[in-house]
Amino acid sequence: MSGGAALALTLGALTLIKATPIAYAALGGVVSERSGIINIGLEGMMIAGAFTAVVFSAMSGSPLAGLAAGIAAGALLGLVLGVAATTFKVDQIVAGTGINLVAAGGAAYGLTLIFNQPGASPQVNALGSSFWILVAAAGACSIVLHVALYRTAWGLRLRACGENPRAVQDAGLLPLRLRLQAVILSGALAGLGGAFLSIGEVNLYSDGMTAGRGFIALAAVIFGRWTPLGAAGAALFFGFFEALQYVLQGRASWLPSDAMQALPYVAALFALAGLVGRVRAPAADGIPY
Amino acid sequence: METVNALELRGIRKTFGSVVALDGVDLDLQAGEVHALVGENGAGKSTLASIAFGTLKADSGTVRAAGTVGLVHQHFELVGRLRVWQNVVLGREPKAGWSIDARTARAQVLELAQKNALDVDPDAFVDELPVGAQQRVELLRELYRDPVVLLLDEPTAALAPAEIGRFFETVRALAARGTAVMVVTHKLQEVMEYSQRVSVLRRGRMVAQYRTSETNVAEIAHAMVGGEPAAVASRQAVPLRPCLRVLDLTAVSASSGVERMSLHVDGGEIVGIAGVEGNGQTALADALAGLVPFRGSIEMNGTAGIIPQDRRAEGLVLDWSLAQNVVLGRQRRVRRGIVVDRARARADAQTIVERFDVRAPSLDAPVRALSGGNQQKLLAGRALIDRPAFVLAYQPTRGIDVGAAALVQSRLIEARNAGAAVLLISFDLDEILAIADRVLVMYRGRIAGEFASASADRAAIGRLMAGAAA
Amino acid sequence: MKRAAALAGGPAGAILLAFVLAAIAMLVAGVSPADGFSALFLGSLGGRNQIAETLVQTTALLFPALGVALAFRAGLFNIGAEGQLMIGGLAAGAVGAQLDAPGAVAAVAILAAGFAGGAAWGALAGWLRARFSASEIISTLMLNFIALSLASYLVSGPLKASEASGAQTAPLPAASWLPALIPGTRLSIAFLIALATAGVLAWLLARTVFGYELRACGAAPEAARRSGIDMARMTLLALGLSGGIAGLGGATIVEGVLHRFNTQLSPGYGYTAIAVALVGDLHPLWICLAAFGFGILESGGLAMQALADVPKDAIHVIEGLIVLVLAARRYVATRAQTVPL
Repeated sequence: MSGGAALALTLGALTLIKATPIAYAALGGVVSERSGIINIGLEGMMIAGAFTAVVFSAMSGSPLAGLAAGIAAGALLGLVLGVAATTFKVDQIVAGTGINLVAAGGAAYGLTLIFNQPGASPQVNALGSSFWILVAAAGACSIVLHVALYRTAWGLRLRACGENPRAVQDAGLLPLRLRLQAVILSGALAGLGGAFLSIGEVNLYSDGMTAGRGFIALAAVIFGRWTPLGAAGAALFFGFFEALQYVLQGRASWLPSDAMQALPYVAALFALAGLVGRVRAPAADGIPY
Repeated sequence: METVNALELRGIRKTFGSVVALDGVDLDLQAGEVHALVGENGAGKSTLASIAFGTLKADSGTVRAAGTVGLVHQHFELVGRLRVWQNVVLGREPKAGWSIDARTARAQVLELAQKNALDVDPDAFVDELPVGAQQRVELLRELYRDPVVLLLDEPTAALAPAEIGRFFETVRALAARGTAVMVVTHKLQEVMEYSQRVSVLRRGRMVAQYRTSETNVAEIAHAMVGGEPAAVASRQAVPLRPCLRVLDLTAVSASSGVERMSLHVDGGEIVGIAGVEGNGQTALADALAGLVPFRGSIEMNGTAGIIPQDRRAEGLVLDWSLAQNVVLGRQRRVRRGIVVDRARARADAQTIVERFDVRAPSLDAPVRALSGGNQQKLLAGRALIDRPAFVLAYQPTRGIDVGAAALVQSRLIEARNAGAAVLLISFDLDEILAIADRVLVMYRGRIAGEFASASADRAAIGRLMAGAAA
Repeated sequence: MKRAAALAGGPAGAILLAFVLAAIAMLVAGVSPADGFSALFLGSLGGRNQIAETLVQTTALLFPALGVALAFRAGLFNIGAEGQLMIGGLAAGAVGAQLDAPGAVAAVAILAAGFAGGAAWGALAGWLRARFSASEIISTLMLNFIALSLASYLVSGPLKASEASGAQTAPLPAASWLPALIPGTRLSIAFLIALATAGVLAWLLARTVFGYELRACGAAPEAARRSGIDMARMTLLALGLSGGIAGLGGATIVEGVLHRFNTQLSPGYGYTAIAVALVGDLHPLWICLAAFGFGILESGGLAMQALADVPKDAIHVIEGLIVLVLAARRYVATRAQTVPL
């Protein structure tokens, strides 16, 4: 294979890998926001997923147990946000920020408490090469969610919740319950994305490993116009910039490594800025009902 | 012959905080009748309808219905971004396996629409429809649930005169098929024409009930108000001076637009803009207020005072006090250097409270605690306190009680008598005809006709409002 | 249920909650709360040096918390205080290393540079929101990471002190250092500057026309827009001022504590500041008190870890829980419709 083709293949593969955690979190973001709840806590849910997956893998020796635990941890935080938003009707952005702080602190605390090692956990059993299944599943998930959102009754009701929950209630349904379900699902997806980071891509948890991906995922939600397929595409876009970093290292020595590290974040800024007045969030997004 | 009660309300009581909205109300609806529920703003009509529908729970009392109850809201509760058929079947979607059977749904919606002589396009997006069509969608949605009782809350508020007739024909047909229909309204002419019985609510109590054939507008109005209607100041002969001149104005605000519109308002007159909601009034108001860019010219001699359309969302900071709200929009004037002039703010607030009869616990009470009428009076006072040369009043008496409405209208007339140019935009034709000197009819962003209010031909205005020729 | 949440969510409730949670954290770590709390309080207030260190932490938290609160009052979510603080510190370190001026003048210039740096970083997010309706929640967070990359690059390269030193700027000339408030400790007059800033902000928000307009934007954006307030200008000013105050905080860390800049100058002050701002109910004077409380936690936390074996990260979990609970208290900002998110 020629050098150029090999490079492209590497870049392509890396893009898929880097996009996967963002995609899961972004899909979670889409589901939540479409129901009307802003989920700023995606980052925290990813952290929870990443950390819990490592803990359970370490305890049981099975990476699958870790995966399941990571999803559950994310779902649990989703439940917290959902209850805060639907029962207590709090400021969703503040609540999401609180979840991020709790998860970040909790993971750091947990590292010392459980592993007696601040900074990073020991290595655990990870998914190995079967992590590719999760990569493919991310794509499948986006298709399934897209179909579900636009073709099923559940999707119709969810979208109605995000636009006008009053109309949903008048139809004899329970908008708050639908929203709660959506946020729990969104946490589970973000947790899955986090677990992919810790026991899919690598085999341990280290402080700060999510590196703001939960927020890049939010940018992906907006960039993808609150649709599952759009968010997945946007995740690929951001994943590309992250992958570029690795490919350029050693090849473009004129570019400082710090600049390359900043690439995905700069890309997110440009993505946000490029959408002047052309996007509209679900009408009831963030407004307690 | 036995009449069947489709809906029975007994002893309904509802309070919001310290305000008693409904105080032991009884009401029966018979199958096949068109029953009007009347009362002034704030009497409790919408609250009673919500309780009958089930959105609100009464504090005490019982609601018994012989089947499903449907409610068409005054301010529609539709999902704008979805299509008509999706809005109609929401919650009862016909299914094909995992997904919605869209074809069946569309067909059902069309069939239902035809059966009730309602003209809709099932595939249209609701937020692209004009207001009259949106109402038909909401009506269809309720009919899809096969209700035995149908509640209509102020159904003709946003309809052109021509559409009103068609609407009531649909209502009559429904009643003829056995549905019990209750129309919540304050339009007594319609009550006389379309209903069989009338129930009158006043201050949360059911004070009268009549057979429509046995009563008249005056009697009902008297029962509604419980005395003489509040007096409004009278317009005096005042020399006119040029103030506002709008030439070839083209502007867009949200989904509202005006197209090469020209008008003028002189100091000493009230010009009323008549028209159905959604014909560009908001674009005109926002352009005049300097909130949106525009093409054409707007010349104004002097300052402007504005009463916004939506007091809660556009005019007030609900959590702030009266004294603080009185400064909003005037903060560059009520100042001493870079500091807000608190003393003057309080003095202004006191002046407004006295002149505009704003009932509030104190100047420091949050305006959220005030009733709608008092909030609106506060806004009117704030708009007029600096004696502006031009006053823009957009729906200044929307949803407030008769006493407050009369006061606001009086103050506007007094400002006019003192030489101010007043532009009144209202969806209530009666209000315009009562207090304006001249009437301009707006349709699709343009002025369709002009009348002197004294000699105005109501029927002609109605036709212009609907887009027909005068 | 809602009222219980509201009561529990008040600042007093938050402090009580913090105590309860800290006790639980201690029990989990196998330490008796009595031992844990005594370590916490002795470690933070038990002596002259301990109090000084607590006030150092208080100051470091107070600046970004004031900035965050200011933005919140304007209806803007600034979670970029960490980055603004970093850029402010970077600017202070860069200017300070080059400056050749009498001590007091240099000191003021360095602080001004810190403010300017943070303000520019905040205003950048403000511009993105005003011009492109880009959510400042996302952009300020992105800018945090970009700030770290930028600072990291500069102190490893162009601004590096010398080949031998680590990744940091040259030390500031001693004449420009902020005078110590308690001699022999790390506490400088930065603490007084922070208190003064709080006072100025309190006056600004409550009394001035600018403060009135800023608060209106946060309390009722649509009514504010219609009252003649230039929303774009306010967004720029609010986020710029917010970033500037955080940057000033970074500058005081550089000038008063470390006497040079490196990328480790903040263990997350910008994020903790969000909790501080909320506990202080977004009022500058209450925030001073809240900062002191969190300062106790931060400085006492280290002692708690050393003496009583309670990991200091427990503090961060507690801080997060406080934010969660306080979300129930109030709507921090009514989002204007023009911005997605």
